Amino acid sequence: MKYELLPHLADLKIRVFGKNKNELFENAMVGMFEGAGFAATKQIAKKEIGVESINSESLLIDFLNEVLYLASVNKEIYQKIIYREFSEHKIRAELLGKKIKRFDSEIKGATHHNLEIKKIKDYWQAIILFDV
Amino acid sequence: MINKKNLKKISDWLWEIPKTFRKDMRVTARIYASDKIFDSVESEALNQLINSATLPGIVKYAIGMPDIHQGYGPPIGGVGAMKLPEGVISPGFVGYDENCGCRLLLSHYPQKEIQPHMERLAAEIQKKVPSGLGKGRQIKLSIEQINKILEGGVPKLVEQGYGEKEDVENCEEKGKIEEADASYVSEKAKNRGRDQVGTLGSGNHFLEIQKVEEIFDEKAAKVFGLFKGQTAIMIHTGSRGLGHQNCTDYLKIVMNALPKYGIKLPDRELACAPFNSPEGQNFFKAMSAVCNYAWANRQMITHYIRKAWQSVLGEKANLKLLYDVAHNIAKIEEYEVDGEKMKLIVHRKGATRAFPAGHSEIPQKYKDTGQPVIIPGSMGTSSYVLVGTEKSKEAWHTVCHGAGRTMSRHAATRSIPPQDLIKNLKNKGIIVHCASLRGLVEEAPQAYKDINEVVEVVHQAGLSKKVAKLIPLAVIKGE
Repeated sequence: MKYELLPHLADLKIRVFGKNKNELFENAMVGMFEGAGFAATKQIAKKEIGVESINSESLLIDFLNEVLYLASVNKEIYQKIIYREFSEHKIRAELLGKKIKRFDSEIKGATHHNLEIKKIKDYWQAIILFDV
Repeated sequence: MINKKNLKKISDWLWEIPKTFRKDMRVTARIYASDKIFDSVESEALNQLINSATLPGIVKYAIGMPDIHQGYGPPIGGVGAMKLPEGVISPGFVGYDENCGCRLLLSHYPQKEIQPHMERLAAEIQKKVPSGLGKGRQIKLSIEQINKILEGGVPKLVEQGYGEKEDVENCEEKGKIEEADASYVSEKAKNRGRDQVGTLGSGNHFLEIQKVEEIFDEKAAKVFGLFKGQTAIMIHTGSRGLGHQNCTDYLKIVMNALPKYGIKLPDRELACAPFNSPEGQNFFKAMSAVCNYAWANRQMITHYIRKAWQSVLGEKANLKLLYDVAHNIAKIEEYEVDGEKMKLIVHRKGATRAFPAGHSEIPQKYKDTGQPVIIPGSMGTSSYVLVGTEKSKEAWHTVCHGAGRTMSRHAATRSIPPQDLIKNLKNKGIIVHCASLRGLVEEAPQAYKDINEVVEVVHQAGLSKKVAKLIPLAVIKGE
């Protein structure tokens, strides 16, 4: 399972899973877009992305917010990350996805609320809250 | 975590968490609520209010309104004022939708005369005001044009022919905060805003054609131009992607600057900076510019609604702006506190300003009455017009902003069949024009607190007085 929706009164809350952090970040991105809902076209979308941050948790949130920015202005969603560089503090990658006709709802931002990235047995996990 | 037993009941409408409850609280926390509302307030919302009481420079109280619910950092329905110049300003205490707010347009038509045209009016308005989640507006403004809106706000649009002179007068801040500076808003934020001026957004944003169902205060209603049976249009939206990006941008900046100012907080999303620091000043100038953009957005929507209105009812049919209020904002205001005059940065997050009669910042024609306060209801329920009072000074002249959620979006989508909701609304005589069924169901009235209860609290607590109650005739949520 890539992610699951969790109950939250007003917004979008997801628990994301990954074999490693690379997969965790990708599944968080997928969960965010699928949580928002969208109507895709068949047209392929590609974008370069580069983010730096003070630690892993902040990097995840800054990455998701940068992805949100690219998706909003270009009317696209992304489904795969092709990593060029990935550390505790930095991501450089290519995003692959699709052009869209519309989003079903608008995500205002990914928040730091109770954010924690942790390893449970063999899996990495994070619970992320998005302001909708 | 707070237990409700820790709270002290001050009156039937006011509760307190003393500052001795937790070591890091700088002030007492207060919640305006009835017994019934109080029982439904989530512990996490109370916890967030307590956290807000730890902000450096906060004066008197951290305040929760009766629609208080869980947010990020401070709760939604939260109010906090910090003393200038060294008290902090906090992006999280404004919210991701900077200057989300509400305005009410008044027609001279009674509902009976409009009813035969209702379907057509709703359809025309929906055509002219997109949600912005699909195509957005066809025209993508240049960065230069966005800068003009960020600094010029409503007056700029009226100058360009998108409104009337009274639209400036009857808008909070006259639709433009002077301290706005577009150079402190990022390119990213501006890019997100280029095709969104005149769009509604999603979630709990809406347009409604409404009827004045009941008048509580005849004198104030007359001054405001309200009469029983009157048709009105309510607009609820904010700064769209431009505002969300600005909040994201500055949250990151102030979070990174916390160690520099030695600020320790119980929750990262409370992140803040001293008002007189470069980070604090930059955020204030940027937020002010974004607020101007949001007012311009509501003004542009007004322009398109007027066009739709006139296309159905004729050229002479006009809509007058009663007032426009922000409910996510931070403003510099002056108050006398314990005999001392001081300037404060008043944060209102999901809370609405409510100035009393005689206040210098309200339009001349309302000066003897008080500021109109517009409170949107949740979909299919009542909305209210209130008037500000002198007593609300105890809450920095602030009241609630709406009803507050009780059911998650996910739970609403799972438990409320869309066709049942539409049927229920139709049975109440409410026309619905909404492109997204999911968007509709998430906003079902059963997912929210009872707006009548919420408004009753602020009325009984004396923070504002009810003037009129409006009911929806048509709900429009953009394509």
